[in-house]
Amino acid sequence: MARIELDNLSLTFKMRACKSITLKEFLIGKIFTRKAPPDIIVDALKNVSFTVEKGERLGIIGHNGAGKSTLLKTLAGVYYPTSGTRIVEGKISSLFEITLGFEPESTGWDNIAFRSYLQGETPKTIAAKKDSIAEFTELGDFLNMPVRFYSAGMLVRLAFSIATAIDPEILLVDEVLAAGDLAFQAKARQRMKDMMAKAHLMVMVSHDLSSIETICDKVIWMDHGSIRMYGPSGVVVKAYQDSVRSEAIAA
Amino acid sequence: MLAYISSIWSYRYFWYSLVQNDLRQRYRGSVLGMGWSLLHPIAMTAILCVVFGGIFQQDYRFFGPFLLAGMAIWNFLTQSITAGCNSFFMAEAYIRQQPVPMAIYPLRTVLGLGFHFLIGMGLVIALSLWFLGWPGILPFLSIIPSVILIFLFGWSISSIFGLATVYFRDTKHLSEVGLQILFYITPVMYPPSVLEGRRIGILLKFNPLSPFLELIRDPLIYQKLPSIETFGVATVLTLSAMVVAYSALKASEKRIIFHL
Repeated sequence: MARIELDNLSLTFKMRACKSITLKEFLIGKIFTRKAPPDIIVDALKNVSFTVEKGERLGIIGHNGAGKSTLLKTLAGVYYPTSGTRIVEGKISSLFEITLGFEPESTGWDNIAFRSYLQGETPKTIAAKKDSIAEFTELGDFLNMPVRFYSAGMLVRLAFSIATAIDPEILLVDEVLAAGDLAFQAKARQRMKDMMAKAHLMVMVSHDLSSIETICDKVIWMDHGSIRMYGPSGVVVKAYQDSVRSEAIAA
Repeated sequence: MLAYISSIWSYRYFWYSLVQNDLRQRYRGSVLGMGWSLLHPIAMTAILCVVFGGIFQQDYRFFGPFLLAGMAIWNFLTQSITAGCNSFFMAEAYIRQQPVPMAIYPLRTVLGLGFHFLIGMGLVIALSLWFLGWPGILPFLSIIPSVILIFLFGWSISSIFGLATVYFRDTKHLSEVGLQILFYITPVMYPPSVLEGRRIGILLKFNPLSPFLELIRDPLIYQKLPSIETFGVATVLTLSAMVVAYSALKASEKRIIFHL
């Protein structure tokens, strides 16, 4: 069963002006009730509601800072909403910030294990997948080297291969296709297609409007943390393009 | 709480492999490798035995295992605090990717330290059996629940200090200073009898680490079962630390990511 339901969900980042307060400021603030520097409040998501059912492919578009990635991370459960409800049924696999979270001193092989365990694999299930993951990376003997010697492209290969080795019910994707060299991109695209065919539900964030239009059947257009438009992909992408064009002309 | 523990357990392969990796990395490329974790406490004890054994006029047969036990427990608990302060920052990349119970990150820290603690305990047992003889089956077996208590206490304070550091960066530095003070009023290097009858001796009574030291030293060094009082105080301390850690994590673990 795969299903996502967001109801009136809001997420507010509250950041202190200087990242985090020191004890001195805390004490002074408490004792002398001097005013602390005001908090920086960012309404990252405002009253977002939508439902995605099994079999649907949802795209999220919008300009930088519109809340696309925040929305995706909230779906994944990494960010916890300030108010509203999030119901997600099904096993999630997320592809975002995938090049972070490696143990730099450990080999590629070891990192395959750590990542897979984090995704809920066991030594038994990994044994079956390890070789196919390694093969997909095409990194060969580099896998015996500590990951800190890897180039950015090699890290993407490793991360992508691990993250896509499981069969998720819900797939959350953030702009991963743009990474890696050309040969790997083509291969990654194919793997994504295979995964999308298997995944019961997919949510994808991208600036590549043409791939959003071909892959997704519904699209959400995010603008300053709220949904500006939600509907069939062709209609929303067209409206978004028109608005960007008219802004460009106005400028 | 049971649900929380079972979800920690469900990620066991993840944290277990990270702990293994941490230990391997620590001795990577060194000739002696893991041997260092054995040699280090032995060398420290030998030096301290020579220096302080003279000052406190202690027989090395008693003082050696006494020191070793004290240092193993002291190092484990204080490093649980100082390393625990960093545990969430070190895990930032994982936290940003996958929602998992946050207690596994302090657990990773504490298990790595626990490995060295167990090696230290092995040395204490070996040395005390050699110098002081067999304490009897009951005192000997009492070490097992004691070690578990010490471990759970370490995990809890590690989580508490880790969380506190996320919200107050000063915690780490404050705790380092605090531990330095605590060191002098904790009977790690000197037998508690040295302070007996002096006013400062009262501090030992209220030192939260004293009961944990007694739990290990009573059976192995003094060859007697720890008193019910010692066990009781240690258990109450551990349980309250666990409750504080659990409720603090429950209340704030979903917001940690916004403060890293």
